[in-house]
Formats: sequence, structure tokens, C-alpha cells
Amino acid sequence: MKAVMIISDQAHYDEIVGNLSRLNIRGFTSWREVLGRGSKTGEPHYGTHAWPSINSAIFTVVEDNRVAPLLKFLKNLDAEAENLGLRAFVWNIEDMI
Amino acid sequence: MKLYETAVKKPVGTSLIFIGLVLIGLIFYFQLPVDLLPDIEMNVVSVMTFYPGAGAEDVETNVTRPLEDLLNTTENLKHIISRSKDGLSLILLEFEYGTNTDNAMNDVRDKLEMSSQFLPEGITDPMLLKFSADMMPVMTLSATADVSTEAMYKILDDQIVNPLNRIPGVGTVSISGAPQREIQVNVTPQKLEAYRISLEQIAQVIAAENVNVPAGNFDIGTQTYMLRLEGEMAESRDFNSLIVGNHQGKPIYLRDVATVIDTVKTRILENYTNGRRSASLVVQKQTGANSVAIAEAVKEQLPGLQKNLPPDIQIEVVTDTSDHIQTSINSLMQAILLALIVVGAVVLFFLGRWRATIIILTTIPISLIGSFIYLYVTGNTINIISLSSLSIAIGMVVDDAIVVLENITTHLERGSRPRQAAIYGTEEVSLSIIASTLTIVAVFLPMTLTTGLAGILFEQLGWMVTIIILLSLLIAMTLTPMMSSYMLRATKDMNVNKFDLWYRRTILPMLDNLDHGYAKLVNWAARKRWQTTGIIAAIFVGGVIICVLTLKTEFIPSADNNQIGMTIEMPTGTRVEIARAQGLKIQKMLREKYPEIEIISFSVGQADEDNLFASMRDNATHLMSYTLRLTKAAERKRSIFEIADEIRRDLSQMPELYRYEVQPGGGMASAMGGSYVDVDIFGHNLATTDRIAADLQAKLSEIKGLRDVTITRKDYRTEYQVNFDREKLALNGLTMSTAAGAIRNRINGLVMSQYREEGDEYDIRVRFDEKYRQSLEDIENILIYNPMGVGVRVRDLGTVIESSSLPQIDRRDRQRIVTVRANIYRRALNEVVEDIQKAINTTQIPPEISVDISGSLEQQQESFGDLTILLIVAVLLVYIVMASQFESLTYPFVIILSVPFAFIGSLLLLTITGIPLSIMAFIGLVMLVGIVVKNGIVLIDYINLNRERGMSIIKAIVDGGRSRLRPVLMTALTTIFGMVPLAIGTGQGSEIWRPLGVSIVGGMTFSTVVTLVLVPALYSIFGSYGVVRKRKKHREKLIDQTNGNNNGKSASNATI
Repeated sequence: MKAVMIISDQAHYDEIVGNLSRLNIRGFTSWREVLGRGSKTGEPHYGTHAWPSINSAIFTVVEDNRVAPLLKFLKNLDAEAENLGLRAFVWNIEDMI
Repeated sequence: MKLYETAVKKPVGTSLIFIGLVLIGLIFYFQLPVDLLPDIEMNVVSVMTFYPGAGAEDVETNVTRPLEDLLNTTENLKHIISRSKDGLSLILLEFEYGTNTDNAMNDVRDKLEMSSQFLPEGITDPMLLKFSADMMPVMTLSATADVSTEAMYKILDDQIVNPLNRIPGVGTVSISGAPQREIQVNVTPQKLEAYRISLEQIAQVIAAENVNVPAGNFDIGTQTYMLRLEGEMAESRDFNSLIVGNHQGKPIYLRDVATVIDTVKTRILENYTNGRRSASLVVQKQTGANSVAIAEAVKEQLPGLQKNLPPDIQIEVVTDTSDHIQTSINSLMQAILLALIVVGAVVLFFLGRWRATIIILTTIPISLIGSFIYLYVTGNTINIISLSSLSIAIGMVVDDAIVVLENITTHLERGSRPRQAAIYGTEEVSLSIIASTLTIVAVFLPMTLTTGLAGILFEQLGWMVTIIILLSLLIAMTLTPMMSSYMLRATKDMNVNKFDLWYRRTILPMLDNLDHGYAKLVNWAARKRWQTTGIIAAIFVGGVIICVLTLKTEFIPSADNNQIGMTIEMPTGTRVEIARAQGLKIQKMLREKYPEIEIISFSVGQADEDNLFASMRDNATHLMSYTLRLTKAAERKRSIFEIADEIRRDLSQMPELYRYEVQPGGGMASAMGGSYVDVDIFGHNLATTDRIAADLQAKLSEIKGLRDVTITRKDYRTEYQVNFDREKLALNGLTMSTAAGAIRNRINGLVMSQYREEGDEYDIRVRFDEKYRQSLEDIENILIYNPMGVGVRVRDLGTVIESSSLPQIDRRDRQRIVTVRANIYRRALNEVVEDIQKAINTTQIPPEISVDISGSLEQQQESFGDLTILLIVAVLLVYIVMASQFESLTYPFVIILSVPFAFIGSLLLLTITGIPLSIMAFIGLVMLVGIVVKNGIVLIDYINLNRERGMSIIKAIVDGGRSRLRPVLMTALTTIFGMVPLAIGTGQGSEIWRPLGVSIVGGMTFSTVVTLVLVPALYSIFGSYGVVRKRKKHREKLIDQTNGNNNGKSASNATI
């Protein structure tokens, strides 16, 4: 099992959530409004006057074989609109109930 | 969920809500009554008291003054104006605008109840009357006739008045100027004396004989019958055979001592239309009725009614208020349509995208039509104020939508999908569009609270614009994102059509060049900030100087309503025949010389005593009042003002006229006609005030731009007085009142009975035949019978002497007043007033007499005072809104500095176009406060944003300037071009709105140009101060720290 954390501009939110089930992913947890800044490129997402855009965070735990299609989908989505910003991070799940 | 999110996610609901709003608005629109102005409650209450037989001065001391003292304490009373005439005291109570007249009426009524104790015997109870705008006639018709003249009253009453009265909304239709039928019994005094019968006896006999009496019911057999005695004369000639007395056993018939004539009343107000004898029919409406609908219904019915009339009676429309209303409304409608097109063109020019343009333009009809719901719900009308509010708002309603759409486009360009772009794009700018809408509301909402005449005029405008702007905000936050999410495409999906290609090839490079050039300018301005500020300050000072030197002011611009009113006087006491001949001569002259005049209608003569309406206006045998109706303003070259001036010149060529007054606009001087100036001379002594008035009249006549300088005090008039000797009266067993009554009956006539025919009643008037009441001897020879039946001649009871008296005494604020009044022609009020003040200063005025200038000036000063307060309130509120948005006191200050430039721009453009500063132009200035700050807000907001993103001041300014130039130009140009149709309007009634349009166009243009340079320069000054301050603080902190470290070190060294 792997955990995937997707942080993206909130404009992507509906698109990603809509496509999760298409990728055979059922469970997820999301935070509609999170703030932050990318390490290299992209505009900060602070929700302030200067940087009004806001991110959303989606956290999902999936079978190992689901990770690749998910990342592929996300990569395409990011390429579509690079300025918005989308990042996903994957790590191992050691145990769960 | 947030509003905009809901709207985007529920497109069906959102669009249907707005479609519903438009439908309801349209339904209400077609039900709204149309009128010229909003329902202005007139603030005047009149108190009329009759004191029969008293002269003007007696009326003044015994009735007017006590009543004035009593009524003076009424709440909210502004002025108390009175007119004491023979037998009549008329007091006009003028209240502050906005006073509830019904409450004031109750107040006055309570006070009048107390008055009965100290008013003299023999007066009638004071009558209270409220003036209202509804009393203004909707239409005046005139009926001309040749052979049917004598029967006109009855014909018109039956055939015209009754059908017209049935039209819904019509209040009353009254006939004036048509001769009314009367049975005259003209007695020969010698014959009466021979038979020893008095005139009163004849009248009593007629009254006693000419009766029908029901005698009760009686039974015959099984039936009950009614018994009636029919004594009334079946025909007027039957009166001849009445037996009025006996002489030596033989009956005396009425025909033996008098002639009975079935004729028309002699002393009446005569009307002439286009040279033919006519009667005028005045149509008044019910309160709240639709003037235009009534006038249309009347005009529709007239041809049908005309058919039933005798062929020689012609009905013509003399005045028709609906005509003016309709054309004014139509020309405003055109202005609105034109504005819509122009605004659309501007938006398309800047955006270059059809779909975006359509989204933005949808805002306009929805918010405008939505405001009709407000009009309907609050019982208002469609009038020039409410329509011009639409015209004013049209350029502003698109602003919010433009900002929203612009930001949504930015999101799209970054790669968002339309739906998300719509939601988040709107969210980001929602606060700033709310703030910029609030600045507009901060200006227009206080307008609804203004007092005085300005408040009444602009209350509706304030509400309308506030509602329209708030509605446009709502649309910008719901419908605009919703439509954008469906109609806009992400940049990558966009199709390119021919228009887009053309736009990219021609317009876009132009706009890019403009951006580039402006960036250079801003760069220079921000770096040479002091130089820039200096140049602009110099422009400001120059502008102020030019404005101060050239500023002209007036009260309300005058409108061409196709009407001219004239009052022409012959010397007092001129017989009506002579005045009539003169009147016809003038009408002939007008007809030949002025082809523009369609209808000339005038009245001459003394109105009936029982005519309540006429007793309030001036009418006398020597007085002629004209109403001229001209062709439509668009169809002639000369305006009513030029024609009126020409007529004045013609009238001055007629030495037989005593004085004349020509009023373009037709009498409604204070409302819409030209401006006028009153010089009020207060003082008790009639001779001194007369002298000063004459003196001032001579001086005023020489002042340029003043016309028709007249003195309101009437001339002394010659009269005959019968001075009875009380001893002689007593000796003969007579009293003053019986003797006076006897004389009155013989000269004026005695009406004791009516002749009935076909349901109508006609007076039977018994008096001396005309040839026996034409000389002093006739009066001296009148025989008065005392209670013993002995006849005594007037000459044995007293003397008849010639004297003169003042027919009318005017008072204002409890002091006698003479007013020298003049109309202003083609000159600004302030210049004229200056000259008049000089004339007053050179006149010798005793200390007990005071001289004031009032008229349009007084109203102007009051309104300007109210508007100045409004202006200050607006500036403060706008500042507060901006300060809370920026959370700063400096930036709003920088922005508000564009307001003075706006004023200068307005005043300069007003000067260039030769329009004086009137209350319309002034209200334009007030509006500018809210409108011009928008440019500054957009600029500073973005510069601030750039700085928060970490740019240096200069870079933030240049970058911000370049990226905000188009939105600023777009919103400014939509506002300016939206106003241009008002400013250049040529349609009828456009004179009123032109100053407003000109003032906004001038102010907005000038301030936009200045703001675009001044704001960057000032920002750079204030911003760098901020940086310098921060650096200084930082340096002090560093120094403190190093000092602290050094001290610490040295201290530790010391301990070691």
C-alpha cells in the first residue's frame, strides 16, 4: 500500500476527485483550502491580496499497482496548465487497521 | 457554499432568477405612469378669507395681520406671503421642502379655529387650500365658435365636458371664457318711481312667483295622488307678464317697468384663440393619475366629440403637458439606447472578444430593468429624473462585470478550466468590487437624504442609481461568472474567427503600443516625481484661476417646452372693449410675424366673483393673458427664449401698453421656465417704497440681460365713493347697510331666483338698465326707500366723491413688500446679481426699509448650500470606504486628490461649452466624487499588490500602471461615453440634462488623464517615504544592537 498526497491549485480539485474512481481509487481525504509555496517554480498560493490563489490537498492510500496510473494522470493534468501548479508525493504505508 | 459558487454550479436557477427579474421589471414598466417630474409635494398652503365690502387696507389691518401673527408660529414655516385685496385676504404659507403638508394643514386649521374670536364681524370663515402639482392642468383645449358663441357654455358642458369627465384619471374639466346664460331684468328707474315700486320689490315678486311647490298627497277613491303647484315660468318671456304691483286699481306688469332679456352675462373673462372668440376647457387630473395616458385618451376622443358639435365650433389643443413629457422621455430613451451601443463598442474594442462583450453587456438591461420594480413598488413614475438615472448608471453598471471577467480571463490564460476559473476568479476580486461599488453608493445614497428642493429632485436619482449599482454588483458576482463558465473557453480550446484575426492584426498592436508608451510615461513620472507633481500642481492652479474668472452660475437650466406666456397690461381701469381690441391687434401682429407660433390664445376681462380659481390669479378689464403654443423645438430655428425676446421688442413699440411680461416656458417660472430675479423692498410706508421701487426699476431696466422689469405693486386705481352722512341717514330711518345694499342692488344687480330649463338653472338678475347706471348723476339719483315707504335720493343722504386707492397690498414675512421682478435672458445669474447689487448700493434707502434679492438666487443659494453639504458628506464617506479597503490613510488621500482635478475638468468644459453651473451641473460634481476615485483604486490596488509580491517601488508602479491601463481606460471610457448622449443631447428637454452630462464628461476625462500620471508620482513619493522610514528604523535598531553588544563587551571586560 502506498500513500499519495496530491497538492494542487484548487482549480484542479474537481477534476482530480472526479477521476479517482475512474482510476479504481475509492478512498481519499481532502483539505479544500491549504496554503503553501513550491520549492522551485510556480506562484505562491497564500490566499492573500498579493497571492490570492489557494491550494487543495488530497490524501489517498492505494494499492501499489494503482500508483503509476494515478501519477500518469496527474502528470498530464499538470502539463495541461503548468501555471496552476500540481504536485504529488508518494510514500509507503507500514501498517493500518 | 458561496454565492458565486452556487451561481456557477446552478446555472438553471441563476439564469431563471434573472429572467424572472427582467420579466417582472418589464411588466411593471408597462404599468408605470409617465410624468415629467417625480411627484413633488408642493409646500404651499393658502388661507383665504373674504371680508365683503372692505378695502385693501382695511383687509390688511383687520384680517391679514392678525392671521399672519397667529400663523407665524406654525412649524417648518419658511415664508408667509399675503395679498390683501378688496374684500379678500389671501395668505400663502410656504413650508420648508419635505414638510408633510397634511400635518401642516392640521396645524394651520387648529390655529385658525382660535382666530374667530378676534377677527371682525362679517368675515367668512377662513378657507384652507392645499396646492399640489396635480392642480396643474394636464391639457387646455380651446373651443372657437362663430354663430354658436352665445350657446357655447351649454353645448360644451353637455357634449365635451361630460364625456371627458368619464375618462379614467380625469379629475375635473372646467370651462372658462364661455359666456353663461342669464335672465336680465333691466329696470327703468323713472317708471319705478312713478309707480312707487322699489327694485327689491320686483326681485321679491319674481322670487315669489317663480316657484314650484309640492302640496302634499291626497286620496281619491282607491288611489293616492300627489298634488303639485307649478308656478315656475316655462319660458323666459313669461316673466314679462308678471304682475309686480297695482296702480290706481290696475295691475302693473313687469314689462311696464322693465325689459326682460334672455341673454349672457356681461362681465366675464373672455377668451380668444387665433383671433376667434373661444372658450377654454381645462383638464385636470386626479392625484397620481397618468398625465400622458389622460392626454392621449382626450386626444383620441376629440375627433368623435367634434362630430356631434355644431359645425362652427372647433376644438383645438392649446397646451398639452403630455406632449412635452412624451418628447422629453423619448429623447432620454434615445440617449439611453445610444449609450448602450457606445458602451458596447468600447467594451468590444478593449476586450476584442464577442462572447466576453455579450457577457458584460447583459449586465446593463438586467440591472436597468430591475430598477423598474423599485419604481413600481414605491409608487413612483417614469419621469425625466428616473430615466436620466438610467442614463447615468449605464456606463457604471458594466464596471464590476468588467473586473470580474478580466480576472476570470487571467485564470483561463493560466490554464484553469472555465468553471473553476469563473469561481476562483470571482472570489479573488469579490472584495475589491464590493469596495468600489460602495464608493459609488457612498455618493448616491446620501443624495436620498438631502433636504430642500435639491433633495426632492435628486432623491429618486439617488435611490435609482444605488439600486442599479447594487444590482449590477449582484449580477457581476452571480450571472457574470455563471455565463463566463459556459461561454468562455479555455485559451487552448479557443477558435479563431475572422474578427479575432482582424482584431489581432489592427487593434491589438495599437493597444500594446499604448501600454508601452504609458509604461514609459509612468516610469518618467515615478522617477521625476517632484517634477511631475510640480507640473500637475501648476496645471491645477492654472485651472483654478481660469475657473474662478469664468465661472457662471444659474439655478436650473431652462427648457424649451414650446410655450410662451405673456401678461400685458393697459393702464388700470381701461374698459374691456379697448383691451380686447388691443389684444386682437397684438395677436394679429404675432400671427403675421412669427410663423413658429401655432396657437395664440388670450383672455381678457374680469372674472366672475364666484370663480374661486380666478380670484387667486390676476384678472381685470385692462389685463390680457396670452398663451402661445409653438411648433416643436426640433422643427424651428429659434428657441422660445429668442422668440420671447423678439416679442418683447415688438411690444416695446406699442406706446399704448402700460406694461408687459413675456415668459418663455409659460408661467411656471420657478419650475422649468427661465430664471428670474426678485428685488424685495420691505417697508411700511407705501410712498417711500414706491419711490425706491420706481428708482430700482429704472436702474434694472438698463442692466444687460434683464428683461420685463416690473413692479408687483398694483397701481392706484380711480374709484368713486359714496359718503353717506350718518345724521341724514338716521333722520330718514335708514342704516348704512340698507343704503349700501340698495345701491349695490341697483348697480351690481340682485339675484333672488333662478330660471330653470331642461335641468339647468340660470340666474335672474334684476338691476337698473345699463343706460341708467353710466354717470355720477345716475348714482346720485338713486332712490332709496326707507321703512316708512318714503323714497330718498342718494344725493340727499351723502355725496359721491372721486378718490383713488390701492387695490392690493402685498406682504411677505409680515412686512409690506414691493417686488421689482425681472426675467433673465442669456446671462448668468451671478453676473446679473452683481450688477443688481451695484444698482441697489447706489440707491438711497432709508434705514427703516430693507432691500433683498430673492427669486432664483434665493433658491440657488439654498440648493447650492444643500449640495455642498452633500458633497462634503460624499467625500468623507468615499474616503472612509477606501481607507477601510486599503487599511491605510495615505493611499485614499492620494486617490481623493483626483477629485479636485475632476472638478476643474468639469468647470473648464462647462466654460468652454458656455453652460453655467446650475444645480444639475453641481449634482454632476457630487457624482464625480464617487466615479473618479475608481481609477485611482484600480491603480493603487494593483501597485500595492506588486509591492507585496516583492517588487521595488518604481517597478511596482510601472508594472502596475502598464497592466492596469486598459481596465482603467475601459471603465473610464464606458462612463464617459455613457454620458456623452446626455451631454450633447439635442432632443427636447435635453437642456436640463446637458449640464450634468457635460460636467461628468469633463470631470471624468480630465481626472482620468491626470490620475494616470499623478497617482504613480504621488505613490512614488509616499511609498519612498515609507521605505526611508523603515530603513531609518532598521538602521537605528542595528546601531542599538551594535552599541548594546559593545556595551556588553566592555561591561564584561570590566568585570574581568
